[in-house]
Amino acid sequence: MSEYTGAVQFTGLDFFWGIAYILLTILSGVFFYKLGKRSGADFFLAGRGLPWWLPATSNFATHTATDTPMWFSGFVYKHGMFGVWQSLFAGWCAISAWVSTRIFRRSLAGTQAEWQTLRFSGLPAEMMRGWMAGWQVALNMFIAGWVGIAMGNVCQWALGWPLWYGLVFFSTACAIYAMTSGFWGVIIADVQQGITMLITIVLVSIWAVMAVGSPQVIVDKIHALGRPEMLNPFHFTGWVSGDYPLMWLITMIAVPFLGGFGMATHFDWFVEAQRIQSAKTVKAASYSIWWGAAAVIVRNSIWVIAVLAFFVLHPDIQDESAYQLAWFRMGFEYFPAGLVGFFFAAILAIHFSTISGILNLGAMYATRDLYHHYINPRATEKKVIWVGRLMTVLVLLGSFFFGIMIGKDVTKWLFFALWLMVAGTWLPNILQVVWWRFNGWGYLSAWVANLGICWLVVWILPAFGILPELPQFYQFWILMAAVALIYIPVTFLTKPDDMDRLVKLYVQTRPIGFWGPVKKEAENRGLLQVLHKIELKAEKNAGKE
Amino acid sequence: MDQLSIGMTVTYLFSLAGLILAWVYYNKN
Repeated sequence: MSEYTGAVQFTGLDFFWGIAYILLTILSGVFFYKLGKRSGADFFLAGRGLPWWLPATSNFATHTATDTPMWFSGFVYKHGMFGVWQSLFAGWCAISAWVSTRIFRRSLAGTQAEWQTLRFSGLPAEMMRGWMAGWQVALNMFIAGWVGIAMGNVCQWALGWPLWYGLVFFSTACAIYAMTSGFWGVIIADVQQGITMLITIVLVSIWAVMAVGSPQVIVDKIHALGRPEMLNPFHFTGWVSGDYPLMWLITMIAVPFLGGFGMATHFDWFVEAQRIQSAKTVKAASYSIWWGAAAVIVRNSIWVIAVLAFFVLHPDIQDESAYQLAWFRMGFEYFPAGLVGFFFAAILAIHFSTISGILNLGAMYATRDLYHHYINPRATEKKVIWVGRLMTVLVLLGSFFFGIMIGKDVTKWLFFALWLMVAGTWLPNILQVVWWRFNGWGYLSAWVANLGICWLVVWILPAFGILPELPQFYQFWILMAAVALIYIPVTFLTKPDDMDRLVKLYVQTRPIGFWGPVKKEAENRGLLQVLHKIELKAEKNAGKE
Repeated sequence: MDQLSIGMTVTYLFSLAGLILAWVYYNKN
């Protein structure tokens, strides 16, 4: 990649766009300083009163990060349209919006860690909350580092900067408004960033088509290059063999869609959970998740055009770290002067929205769950906000550590972090929502075992030759089965959770699935009849409006 | 750095720290 270093020449107008945009973003975030410091709920959940389109735009903006066009370009450049399936994980939102999103919003849990103490009871519930909060602090450091170093890679290629400049400089700029205004700053900045990036994504694809000639020319040239399979998203090479196995696609469809019935089945859930609880009502939460994911799917289909055009123009790049910059190169190399600066501003928008959201999310788990729930339950709102700011800086510093460590291997880490780290807990995450008997000890054992077993199956055993290097979809199913051998016996060898706790959760959140004994107990206590009366009254009142 | 790149260990240690904190708190309570 070194031959591209410093590839972009900025004019005065380009510098103006870039600097003006950085100032606009920081000021629009800081502007909401007064709202952010009202309470802990404002600093981390924007007061739980947002209309659906604010968290929806935030979902789209946060899930469009600097690394996203990199790994997406990498897959499409290498596999053509088949690579689009890699981004199908957004599909879990289509189910979750109408199932687990509603259940989670009704629970009023501030974080997924807090949900543990509402769903389970006793010591395992508390230990699970602590475990998940600690894991989320570390994972958000990792994500902020991973996205941050992607920016380092882009700046090195475009501006000739050392790798760590782009990581440290831009993440620190984000931390300014994430610290002052908390989630209010994040969500308001996300809206203007979401609009900026969507306009730019459309513009890059238009310029890409113009650079090649027309959409038909792209198709003709791909045929001329002898790669017609790149245009076929259903190009399979057998059930389990070759580069495009059908089993891989079945895994990619089954896992996210079934995962929509659970919580935390994908690591994006933790980002969504914060936005679900910031929405004004249950319905607003559902809309925000559905529309946010729909925008992501549309975004991908627009991106494909630019990456295929890049492939036609540069078909012989072998180095993954070079062709994963395809989308960035289309903008930088084919936009006219002046618009290049706007493109850089859009890259900053893509970057800032993710980093600021992730910094605030990591700080929320460190503050709400570890500090306020465990260390100092008597802390005042003012103190909670100050600890939140301190934790934002802690997550920022942790991201520098992870970012420097990842370096140029942005795409290589992706599959492990996205899928395999949550493979073993995928089924338990669904069971906790749909099955009353699945208890705290079972869930805790699944999480603790998963982190160790995925490490063994993916990295350690293949390194010592004990296990062959398997395709990733095989690893996913092996991990799922191996962890199940631990949590299923543990669940049946330990007592069910406290019935009072389960009845309270059932009445408040109305989960779907196998809750028969809990429902019966709730009926015996007369709680469901009361709930039914409240619902009838609400319907009657709604009819009068 | 050799792709050695520690990340999993740090993540595990953070999770364990949270779990131990919860255990201490639960018994204190």
